Formats: sequence, C-alpha cells, structure tokens
Amino acid sequence: MTRNGETVKWITARRRHPLAGYAVVILALALFGVGFAALAPTSDEARAQTLSAEAPSPEDVDVANGKAIFDQTCASCHNYDGSGTFAEDEDGNREMTNGPDLREVGPASVDFQVSTGRMPSMDPDNQMPRRDMVMSEQDLADLIAYYNESIRTDDAGAEIPYDVPGTPPERADFEDEESYETALEDYETEYDAYIEGAEDVDMGMKLYLTNCAHCHSWSGGGGALTDGRWAPELHDSTPREIYEAMVSGPGAMPMFSDGVITPEEKQELISYVKTLQAEPNAGGFFDLERVGQVAEGFIGWTIGLSLIIACAIWITAKQRAHD
Amino acid sequence: MSKTTQAPKALRGVGNFIDDRFHLAKTGEKNLRKVFPNHWSFMLGEIALYSFIILLVTGVFLTLWFKPSMLEVVYDGSYERLQGVPMSEAFASTLHIDFDVRGGFLVRQIHHWAALIFVASLVVHMLRVFFTGAFRKPREINWLIGVAIFALAMVEGLFGYSLPDDLPSGMGIRILQGVMLAIPLVGSYISMFLFGGEFPGEDIITRLYMLHVLLLPAILLALIVAHFMILWHQKHTQYPGQGRTDKKVVGTPMFPAFAVKAGGFFFFTFAVIAGLSAFVQINPVHLFGPFTPTSITSGLQPDWYMGFLEGSLRIFPNTLDFTIPIGQGYPIVTAVLIPGLGIMGLLFGALGAWPFIEQWITGDKRARNVADRPRNAPTRTALGVGGIVFYGLLWLAGSNDILSETFSINLYLTTYIFRVLIFVGPVLGYVITKRICLGLQRRDRETLEHGYESGIIQQLPSGEFIEVHKESSAETTHVLESKPVISSTALEEPETDDKGVENPNARKGMGRFRRALAHWYTKDNVSFEGVEAHTGHHLHHGAENEGKGH
Amino acid sequence: MTEKNNNDNNEGGADERVVGTPTDTTDVVTETSAHSDSEHNGPYLASETHKRSEEQQRRGEKVASIWFLVAFLGGIGFLVSYFLFPPNAAGEPAIADPQIGQYSNALLGGTLTLAMFAIGAGMTVWARNVMPHYEVASPYDELPSKEEEKSSFSEFFMKSADESGFTKRPLMRRTLILAMLPLGLAPIVLLRDTGPLPGDKMKETRWTDGMRMYVEGTHRHLRAEDLENDPYGMISALPALDDEGYPHGMSLTDQAKSVILLIKVPEDDWKPGMDTPVREGSDETHMNWTHQGIVAYSKICTHVGCPAALYERTTHRILCPCHQSTFDATDAAKVVFGPAHRPLPQLPIGVDDEGYLVARGDFNEPTGPTFWEYKD
Repeated sequence: MTRNGETVKWITARRRHPLAGYAVVILALALFGVGFAALAPTSDEARAQTLSAEAPSPEDVDVANGKAIFDQTCASCHNYDGSGTFAEDEDGNREMTNGPDLREVGPASVDFQVSTGRMPSMDPDNQMPRRDMVMSEQDLADLIAYYNESIRTDDAGAEIPYDVPGTPPERADFEDEESYETALEDYETEYDAYIEGAEDVDMGMKLYLTNCAHCHSWSGGGGALTDGRWAPELHDSTPREIYEAMVSGPGAMPMFSDGVITPEEKQELISYVKTLQAEPNAGGFFDLERVGQVAEGFIGWTIGLSLIIACAIWITAKQRAHD
Repeated sequence: MSKTTQAPKALRGVGNFIDDRFHLAKTGEKNLRKVFPNHWSFMLGEIALYSFIILLVTGVFLTLWFKPSMLEVVYDGSYERLQGVPMSEAFASTLHIDFDVRGGFLVRQIHHWAALIFVASLVVHMLRVFFTGAFRKPREINWLIGVAIFALAMVEGLFGYSLPDDLPSGMGIRILQGVMLAIPLVGSYISMFLFGGEFPGEDIITRLYMLHVLLLPAILLALIVAHFMILWHQKHTQYPGQGRTDKKVVGTPMFPAFAVKAGGFFFFTFAVIAGLSAFVQINPVHLFGPFTPTSITSGLQPDWYMGFLEGSLRIFPNTLDFTIPIGQGYPIVTAVLIPGLGIMGLLFGALGAWPFIEQWITGDKRARNVADRPRNAPTRTALGVGGIVFYGLLWLAGSNDILSETFSINLYLTTYIFRVLIFVGPVLGYVITKRICLGLQRRDRETLEHGYESGIIQQLPSGEFIEVHKESSAETTHVLESKPVISSTALEEPETDDKGVENPNARKGMGRFRRALAHWYTKDNVSFEGVEAHTGHHLHHGAENEGKGH
Repeated sequence: MTEKNNNDNNEGGADERVVGTPTDTTDVVTETSAHSDSEHNGPYLASETHKRSEEQQRRGEKVASIWFLVAFLGGIGFLVSYFLFPPNAAGEPAIADPQIGQYSNALLGGTLTLAMFAIGAGMTVWARNVMPHYEVASPYDELPSKEEEKSSFSEFFMKSADESGFTKRPLMRRTLILAMLPLGLAPIVLLRDTGPLPGDKMKETRWTDGMRMYVEGTHRHLRAEDLENDPYGMISALPALDDEGYPHGMSLTDQAKSVILLIKVPEDDWKPGMDTPVREGSDETHMNWTHQGIVAYSKICTHVGCPAALYERTTHRILCPCHQSTFDATDAAKVVFGPAHRPLPQLPIGVDDEGYLVARGDFNEPTGPTFWEYKD
C-alpha cells in the first residue's frame, strides 16, 4: 500500500515535467512493439501445426456410423441423398438455398471441407473460416465411406490423395505416449519425404506464382476477393488439404485437376509454398507477418521515425538553467 | 573554477596553413558563432540529411557486388532454396549480397529502411515548415528546392526499389510503363526509348541503375547542399519567445554545443535505422523470387511513398475515358493519366505554388523570421490538414485490398468508400481543423487574460467551488501577446476611393478574386485586440465568454 | 579542491597521453574562482551564459564516458560478429542458411545499433551536462542590398554589357544564338538510339495458327481434355516455344505479351456479350473463338499491365490484384469494375489432330496496357 502510494506520488510529482508527455508516448510505442512481437506468429509455430498423420485404412470404416453422421450433420442442408436444397425462383430457375448438390463433388471435396472445419457450417450464407475439425478422424473416414457408397454418382469428382501427407496425429487418439510418438515420427518422415521429394524449385515457384499467388499471396498469407470473400492463408494447410483444394475448387477457387497440373507438378507446387513458409526469416526476427510494403511503411513511420524524433526531443529538451 | 585551453600547436599549424591560403579566420569564427534555435521540430530536416548520408554510404557498399544486368542466368549461389532457378544477374547478385557477403544483408536492409525514413522525414520536415509558415519570405526558394528534393527522392526510391529485379519490384516498373503508355500520342515512343524496346526488354535495369546511383543522387546532393547553404546564409527561423524577433535570432551557437548535439543526432538516426535493419525484415527479395511479367501476388504494394499514386490508380474509375473518333479511334485513358500523372502534378504543383499564392493573397512582402504557431494561421493550417487528409486517403486506398482482408469489408465497397471520402475527407479536415485552431486561439486569449488553470480547487465562502487561476510565466505571456494579426493588403484598399469612385483594383476580375481570397484567408480569427495580460478576475471563471470569435 | 584537480588532470597527464586526448598541460591557464557562475570565462559574456555546476559536470562526464565505453564494446562486438559466421564454408554454419543469416544479421545489426546509440547518448549527455547551457542572440542579416549598392551594380553591369557590344551588335548576337540551336538539339538527337520506334511491335505476339501451349512453369503441352473435364478449371499458359538461351522457352518480353489465362466455363453461364464480333466488322464472334467451353484471355491487364489472374469460379470475375480492374470471363472479358479501359484481348483457340489445345491465330487486340495507337 505504502509502496503503491509512493509510486503514485512519484508519478504525480513528475506529471507536469516537460518530458512527461513524451515519456508516455515512448512508453506506448514500446508497448505497441512488444505487443506486436508477442502476437506475430513465428515460423516454427506455423511449421509445427502442419505436422502429422496417416490415411485411415478402408477396412476399418463403419459405414453405418457414416450414415448416422451424414443424416445428423449434413442432411439438413445437403438433403438425405446429398442432392442439396434448391428452390425455384420467380423465373423458374433452380436456386440453391442452403447447401449444394454433393453427388458429383467427390470425396476429396468432402475430406477438404470437413477436415479444415469448414463443414458442417453454421451459416451457409457466409464463407467459413478454417477451424478445428468437429469430428474425429475415424468419424470422417466413416462419413467418406458412406459418401462413396451411397451418395456419390459413380466415381464423379476427385479421389482423396492418400499418398500426400494429411493431418498430423493427435495425442488424444493414442493410448500411450510411445505409440503417439512413433506415429508422429512416421508422419514426419512421410511429410519430409513428400516435401523433399520435389526437385524443381523453378517449376514449383512458377506454378505457384502464376496460378495461386494472385489470391493466396506470394507467402501463402491469403488475400482479398470480391464481395467480402477472401482467399484463406495457407500456413496451417497440410499438403493434402492444398492438394484437395486444387482438385475440388472449394468456394470461389477454380479447379486444377490432375490433367492440368499433374500430381508430380502439384508436389513441386506444394513443396515450394511449404518450404517457403517454413524458412526462417534471414532478415530479422520480426517478419511483419510477411505482409510486405504496407507493414514496412507502417513500422517505418510509427517505430522508426518516432524513435528518432524521441531522440531529438531528448537532445533539445529544455533544462532548468541552474540545475 | 575555469580554464582555457590554448590551441594545440599542431592545430594552430594546420589552421595557419589553411588561413594563409583562404583567409578564413574571420569567416570561420562567424560561422562557429552561428546561432541555431533549439526545438525538436527543427531537427526533422536533419533526419533527412543523415538518412541521405547513410544511403550514400550503404549504397556505395552495395554497388561493390551488385550487377545491373538483365542477362538471364541459372542461380548456383549459396542460397539453397533458389538453386537452379533462372533469374536475371541483377537478382542473382542481390542474393549474393544477402547470402555470400557478411553484413551484406544488414547493409541492404539499412539501405532500404534508410530510404523509407529519408522520405518520411522529408515529409514531416516539410509539414513542419508549412504549418509554421517558415516558407515565407525570404525562404521561398529554399521551399522550392525542398519540394524538388521530395519529388526526386520519390523517383529515386522507385528506381532503387526496382533494381533487385524481384517480383514486386518488376511490377513497379511495369506500372510505371503502363502509365507511360497512356500518354497521348508519344506514350509508346517514350516507353520504347526508356526500355530500349518492349517491356521489360534487356536494358531497363542497367538504365535505372545509372539514374539511381549517379544522376539522381548527384542532383539530390547538389540540391541538399544548396538547401543547407541557403539555410546557413539566411539563418534558421525560430518560434516566438522573449527576445526573438524578425530581426534577432536566439539559440545555441554552432560551436560547441550545437555541433555536438547535431553530431549525436546523426548517431541516433543511424542507431534507429540499424536497429530496424537488425531485427525487422524488410523487402525479403529472396522470398519473393525473381521477376516474371506473368506472375503476380495479392497484396502487392509499392514502398509507402508511392502508395498515394497506387491508391489514386485504384480508386479512379474508367468512366471518364473516351476515344477520339479519328480513324480507328485514339484512346484518352483518363483512368491512368489523371491518377498516374495528374495527381502527382497536383501535389507538387500545389506545394511549389503555395508560398507565392499566400503572398499574393496577403500582400505580405516583409521578411518573416519568427515562425507562426499553426493555430495563429487557421486558414493555412486547415488547408494543410485538408491536404494531409487527401494524401492520406489516397495512401490508404493504395492498401484497400489489405484493409478489405483485415477488416472483412467488401473489396468494391472499400473503393466506393474511398471515392466518397476523397471529396468529403479533406473538407471535413479543413473545417474541423479551423474550428480547433480558433478554439485554441480562444483558449490562448483566456489564458492571457486570466492566467492558467492551476489545478487547485478552492471553496468560496458562498460554498461555490472554483479552480484557482495563476498568472502565466513572462515567457508564455510574451508568446501569447505576440500573436500576429492576419491581414491582407487587398482588404486595406478601400472599395471606393474618397471621391466615391470604385477602386479599379477591386473591380477587375483578378482584383476581385484576390479580395475574395483575402477575405476567406483572414476572416476567421480570434482578435486579441485590446486584451491585456492578466486583467481578468483571477478567481472568476466560466462567465467570460463575451467577445469570442469575430 | 583536491577533487576538482583530480578531475581536471585525469585525462591530461603529459606522461600518459593517450591518442585522442587534449595535449600539453603546460598550455593550460588555470584560474580558480569561488563564483564560477558569475565569472564564466567562456566565449560569451557571463551574463548570457550558465555554466554547469562542477558537480553536474563531473556526473555528466562519468555518464558520457560510460556511454562511450558501451559504444566501444558495441564496436568490438560488431567486429567479433563479423568473424563469427563464415560465408559459405562447407560443413560450418554459414550465413547462406537463413537461420544463421538471421543470427548474423541480428548480431551485426544489434551491436552496430548499440554502438551508434551509445555514441549518440554519450554526446547528448556531454552537451547537456558538461557544456554550459545558454542561448545567445544574434541578428538576422538584412538581406536586400542597399539601394546605392543595387544601382551601382546595375549601372556597372549595363555599362559593361554595352562595352561588350552584345547589345549593340545584333548580327553577332543572333548568329551566336543560331550557333547554339543545333548544339542544343544534339543531346536529344543522341538519345534516339536508346530504343527502336514502336511500329507494330506491340501489336504482335508469338501466337500463330496451330501453336500448342505449355502449362506455364512446365514444358508440357496442354491437352484439351485436361480442361474440358474440369467443370471450373483455370490455368496460366504460354505458347509452346523453345527459343534457345531461354530456360522458359522464350524471353520475358515475349512472355509479357503472350501469356494467357485459360478458363473452362460451364455451358449455361455464358452471357450475350460472347456473341458479339471479336473486333469491329469481323465475322467471328467471341464464342467462335472458344473451344468446348474453354476460353483464352490475355493475362495482362489493359490498365497498367499487371497480370490479371485472380479468377473467381463462382462469379466468373477476373480481377487484377494491383488496381482491382475486374473483367467478366463469361462476357468477353468486359470491364465490370475498376479503372481498366478495355476488355482483356481474347485468343482464338481450338484443338489439333492429336487432341492438344492450339491457338488459331493472334489476339483480337494488342495485349498489355492501353496505348494511343492500339487500334490502328
């Protein structure tokens, strides 16, 4: 109490000091800098989130459970047979109301939408951000098995690329630490093999920069689309999710089938962006989230110029003549 | 206790040697005694000077390795990720500086940060000069030189940004070329001559390099030296204060105190720039990858000082475009010409012309060495803020995609918002600033009459609580009393002379226009006429509202 | 007073002179006074100046010296950091590794920052605590010359000019001006060879009838069926050229003009604009120039030349990320938003005997930013 009282007194006594205002400004700027540093994710974190798992083997799936999940969580918008919900407008055109027809989208699309947490969506009118998956890996496998068996029209749409590394294993899915670590190690080996299996940086870079970067940005940081939509950032995306997005074209994204960009070329492309994202920033601890020139200009003005001016204020601050 | 050290023999020897040849003792002493007023805002220009020096030094270092060539090579340097990638020699040599030269990465980042700080400090310095009226006679020419430095610095920055030949830098040149092509009649010729053929050709980096490291820095250096010599010759302006008049400057002598302070400030400037370069990554060209004219990234931006042009290009609609119906038809691409060239002309034209416009309005021909407090020239200050808002909005519009993404606003909506704001914002800025200035003037007047609020609350015998006002210091009183009267010679001339004949100056078109402008420029002001310091009742508070605003 | 003497002498001992310290104690004239403030012995009158108290000066000296020592250590640190990380040495952590590069950059920059800041701080403390504090007045010079000086100058100038004959001998004057004219033009003429005349160069690209296309970044020919089966496909493509000396098959200049965006549009989504002629007076419509729902537009924006590649399959908008010009892919790339002057040029496409996508000629209009003579 006394100590606090003294502090307050100490501050009060200096409140009207000619430098007091500046001190507050500098303090605020320092806080701003520290706050920014704390919030900006490091590339290590980004990397850690991409690590993981193994394709569920088709024998282990429970189609009945898949049907239960579908009827419970998907059918309200996509209908029980996956045909979507449509209504006819005044001119007799079929307009989608809640959910699109799923019969021809293919399992890759289902896997992408569910594993990135975008489906099931609470708000079908808005673009869904990436979230944690709402069901377990097993449930998803069951759901996809049911989809393939009962909903999908023949073999329409793209298959899930099981040979591309997907979501890393989660501790909760394993009974003991040891088996989890084994699984994690396997996943990492698989992941590294996929990423390092790419050989032609130039091809990966060209493919990424000419077909992806105009929406997702050079760093995979995402960007603005029209009508309030956005292209999501790719830091958390697993190689399999990127692959699935390319072949299924979620949202406004066009499709890049295996004919247009072959699986090997996709590997180059995915490897390029993942390697880029995992690379430490040679230029400094703070990468300004790789936003680029806007952030640089902002920092130049707020931190750079302010600090220099603070020094100028120190140099020229009035002094009492006789102290 | 004090002591005087006599000049050491060696120094005297050198001094004599020089003086024997140049006769400098008298001039030298005069210059050592040169007086510089103390205020932090007078050091903003120094930031620009020091960053320019840093730019020169680091730039020389970078040229030791940089190869301004567009020859396509396959990279086989030390940076692993891009090995085997075809790129221009310019880009490859930039990677060499970053990853094979120790400290190269640091110096390149210092060079880039210093460039951002250089232009930023030019802007704040210019704003300080504008808002304090320090561009007035006799300093108009120095103001013009300053505007030229600002314009050249932008071009210099743009060219430097283009040299590494990375993805965003190449796009910068592409946009420059696109603007050139829009110029009627000669656009394609200008572009062909500058690029040595079509875009991007194989010459442009070599040519921009020459402009960036030789021609433009030489002109900039000459202008900066001229700027500084004129400042030195005319002496610095000062803020109002006791003993400070248009005839007499009060401040710290050049030697020793000012020299040491200014020297220390150089090191501070360098320290901040080096600090940013050490810890904050800027323009990571190795991550962007080399330029190809077919690739693009979202969130593409120029460096901040080109942001306002980027913004004006984004929000200007194509509705004013038209085609001259001769032959096949020739396009007038207003959506490129006006935002790309017109806005720049408007900015620099307005900046360059303002001192002369203001002088024409006020008819003020006296030499002004005491700076205005911004509130005491409300119209100018409000106009300046209007200009800042205009510039700032364009600048913001240059990052509308990032705003749209960050704040989840419809991209097109941001464009529409900016199209409206660009007209409304400056007007609002003007009106609000003027109100604030007048409010501050009123407070000044009250402070002058009643002293300042001491923070001490007293209870009167009647039970009323009042805050005790204390007399301001002599310095404050002097500053407040010295508020200049804003007037114009145009308004002093009577509309009719004593014989009732209309004054021809007031009747003619320009004369009438000038009178109207003069009225606009001078009308809003709080008169301090008849106010004497500390004549109000010290304990009386709140009921002194009569006579506000004229 | 002993203390003060110590302080005065601690730098100046003739025996232990260090580089950078003042010389010759013998030259020092020392006065001692009890009232230093009033009898300040500096270059300005004592009444104008305020000398710092001896105690403050001593404190200032100490603090400044500490800062300078810090700067010294910072400088040493900088030199050490330089040699800490080698450039590209086999098996050692080299700066070419981005992580090591980051450490090297932070260490070099950090020590440099420390050194610079400490020098600045030391000098500021020096100026503020050791030097006397005062402000002096000095007159602003009267800038205009006196009237007699001006008239004397102008009289001299005009007399001398007359004397030179420049004003009185028009023939000589005019011929001199004449002589300057061609020389003044010379530098402009010399710049003529900086580049070729535009001619029709900007209106032609490398596309010709029957030329196949590469998926950009690869050297793989694109087949029509690759896109046909892709209900919402899109891909960036280049003419299938393999010019010598260019790893990507062609120069950047050629790429900049001929790059295209191939888009597969579902049948029902086409708009009436596709049935208009590709250029005035032509029999061909935009629709004729597509193949099985695949349409090819120039990827270079007609505004100022960024690649307009942001294609939304739901709205069929092609958006340029630079300035947000928006084109409708289903409506002959009509400008639907933003500053672009004209639609994206379209490339006629078809399929060859082997099923590969090919161009059927050049674009309907010059690609790239709009320029004065693009319609000629």
